[in-house]
Amino acid sequence: MTRFFLFLAVSVLSSQWGLAQEAPVKIDLEDPNLVFVSDSVIPIPLEIFASLDKMGAQDWGRQIESRDIRLDANRSRTAMLFGLVVSEGFIGVQAQDKESVRRLGRDVLALARSLGVSAEVEEHANAIVNGAGRGEWEMVRQELDKTRQTVINKMKELRDDELVALVSLGGWLGGTEALASVLRDNYSAEGSDLLNQPELIKQLKLDFNGLPKRARRGDLFTQVSQTLEHLESLMRSDDTGAISEGKVIEISLATRNLVEAIYES
Amino acid sequence: MRVSLFALILVSGITFTTAQEKDELPALDNPHNYIKLLAQDAALPALQGEEKFILRESWWSGRMEPGKAKLIQVQLFRRNAYQFWLAVPNRNGEPIINVYDSEGNLIPSESLNFEGTNIVSTMIQPEITGVYYIRVSLKTTIESPQDWAVIYAYR
Repeated sequence: MTRFFLFLAVSVLSSQWGLAQEAPVKIDLEDPNLVFVSDSVIPIPLEIFASLDKMGAQDWGRQIESRDIRLDANRSRTAMLFGLVVSEGFIGVQAQDKESVRRLGRDVLALARSLGVSAEVEEHANAIVNGAGRGEWEMVRQELDKTRQTVINKMKELRDDELVALVSLGGWLGGTEALASVLRDNYSAEGSDLLNQPELIKQLKLDFNGLPKRARRGDLFTQVSQTLEHLESLMRSDDTGAISEGKVIEISLATRNLVEAIYES
Repeated sequence: MRVSLFALILVSGITFTTAQEKDELPALDNPHNYIKLLAQDAALPALQGEEKFILRESWWSGRMEPGKAKLIQVQLFRRNAYQFWLAVPNRNGEPIINVYDSEGNLIPSESLNFEGTNIVSTMIQPEITGVYYIRVSLKTTIESPQDWAVIYAYR
């Protein structure tokens, strides 16, 4: 009887969860015939924080900074600022800090207005502010991701592809600054591997350098370019799979300087 | 299935035009949105419960020919688990999804087939943080090219 049930269970499971389907065990990534999907998806900070938190609770509250946003006519900067503010919203969610998330929800709306996409974002921004007030973190997280994606979709629709790349870049930068800061405060070789992102930086660099010159004119964008170049050499694990404490400190400083430059320029 | 899909469409708030024929599914303004909803419908059970995955809003879509694979580059993080769902509209599509590491080696994964044959899913737990490649393809048993959509979630 036991055998029968065992057989039944195995049969049912194998019809649902099976081994990976027939596929080549190795592919040559240099093969010129390979077709890559061009859309790059940037991880959201919470995706990275989820991994770090599995090693133990982190003090995410320390990463929240109350920075004022200053709007100007530079849409490229505004797009990066938008990505940054959304990523800071994710940090606020991780820290479950109601006030900071409510403030960031309002900042998101102001930036969306400046980018001409407030109609699309308003509902999400209100949900963020209200959800944070009620401590509904799951919903706030979802709304933040939706806000980011909604703006990206709208930019694509408006053929503002350069702004899409800058929103993504700002979002990645904000998350990386917080991650590097947490790792700097509480370094562990095991956790440092989360900064191993050479291919992702290469992609961000490609996207940034591919922008029309008018979209990256000025000192701020020279700094963006230089920082990406610098980070590409730092965010690469060594033979042990770790990134040294010294490099983590450098990453933390470089990302922090750039974030401050975006806010203050 | 069709009832839950319809509910999902309403919940997602995606606009669609009125179907001309009553028996037709609603015609979404972008066919990939409809295919994405198929994938989301299949993903719903994994997004609930104690060990639930968190669905990302970002997704990929396109069109592919039978036997011609496409690769999606994605950064994944150690200690997390990731699940990907690939959907095509045609039930005879037999989509295939696999994950490769940065050297092009196939990553051992668990795959899940759903009712019908037009949605497939795979779950991996990356052993190192880094770039991975999602390989999507169609079995050669189908002749016509298919639109497709991939969504993913982490936990």
